[in-house]
Amino acid sequence: MSIYYVHKIAQQVAKDPEFRERLKRDPEKAIAGYRLTDEERRALLAGDVGRLAQMGAHGYLLGHFARNEVLGLHMRNYSQRIHDPGSTV
Amino acid sequence: MGEIVAGFGVPHTPMFPALVKRDGPQCETAQLYRAVAGHLDAIKPDALVVFDSDHLNTFFLDNYPNLSIGVTDQTTGPNDGTPELPPYTVPVSEDLAGRLYSFGLQSGFDLSLAQEFDVDHSILVPLHFLTPHMQLPIVPVFINGVVHPLPAARRCFALGQMVRTAVEALPASSKVAVLASGSFSLDVGGHLSPRGQFAGTPDVGWGDTVLGHLQNGRINELLNEATSERMARAGNVAGELLNWIAMLGVIGDRRPRFLEPQREMGHAYGVWRWD
Repeated sequence: MSIYYVHKIAQQVAKDPEFRERLKRDPEKAIAGYRLTDEERRALLAGDVGRLAQMGAHGYLLGHFARNEVLGLHMRNYSQRIHDPGSTV
Repeated sequence: MGEIVAGFGVPHTPMFPALVKRDGPQCETAQLYRAVAGHLDAIKPDALVVFDSDHLNTFFLDNYPNLSIGVTDQTTGPNDGTPELPPYTVPVSEDLAGRLYSFGLQSGFDLSLAQEFDVDHSILVPLHFLTPHMQLPIVPVFINGVVHPLPAARRCFALGQMVRTAVEALPASSKVAVLASGSFSLDVGGHLSPRGQFAGTPDVGWGDTVLGHLQNGRINELLNEATSERMARAGNVAGELLNWIAMLGVIGDRRPRFLEPQREMGHAYGVWRWD
């Protein structure tokens, strides 16, 4: 089920304010219950949307992280992050 | 006894309601929507079939439909927080929707049935500008334009042909117009968006190609060229072109009366009328 749960987390960020707050408060704990690969989990916690896109994640859904300012992402750093996997700007 | 009376195509850029509020009724975007709305008002259809691609706001990947019809009496939205878009309730023609659904199944289209759903900016930005009083009943027909691989262009065109046949078989007199919502080249949040931008137009040239085909009624060329791979290169939501292709299936081999691009944005405003 690789990448599906990355998409699911992105959707919940957009749809579920309570989940969004938990993700802001304690990202590791908020995503602990999802069936993610280690690499997906690492990339998510690093806000590495470029790497997640390489793994097949949909940019439209990844954008929810920036729109909602979670996982260290916002509208100002998103573009560089999506273009440069591994970027920590 | 039903009749297809017109076809329309418009973009649904989420920032347009805020942009038009800021820049006023004389800005280009407001004028283009108004031009299309003028034709729609002149035609006075009884219902509007809307071909649309949900942006994973109405449906999700737990069970994402490639082709779906909303069969209900009303829908609401936006369900995705579009700036400056008020909450709307939109009437749905349940009778027409139900007839298209069952006619579609009998014709070999394995449509999914949606009876409780809200809709996102991709339906409500167009209606906000075209039918702001939400007086015109719609029938939402959802085509997957964002989750690759996409349905085949020829299949979407055939879906439109089916809609035409179903409307013409209606038992009572009814004027039905059709609206396509979407862009030809657009990437949102993906790596094809221009560097420094959250969203943008990766492939203005593909937009020009599509426009040329639309302007000259070159449907066969458009159907041949609009593969899932080709549309993917034009951006992660460029499959919205399939909505325009389905609309062409409904109206047939006609030239537009009005076709105005916003080239750099990868989209256009089109009107097909033959009255």
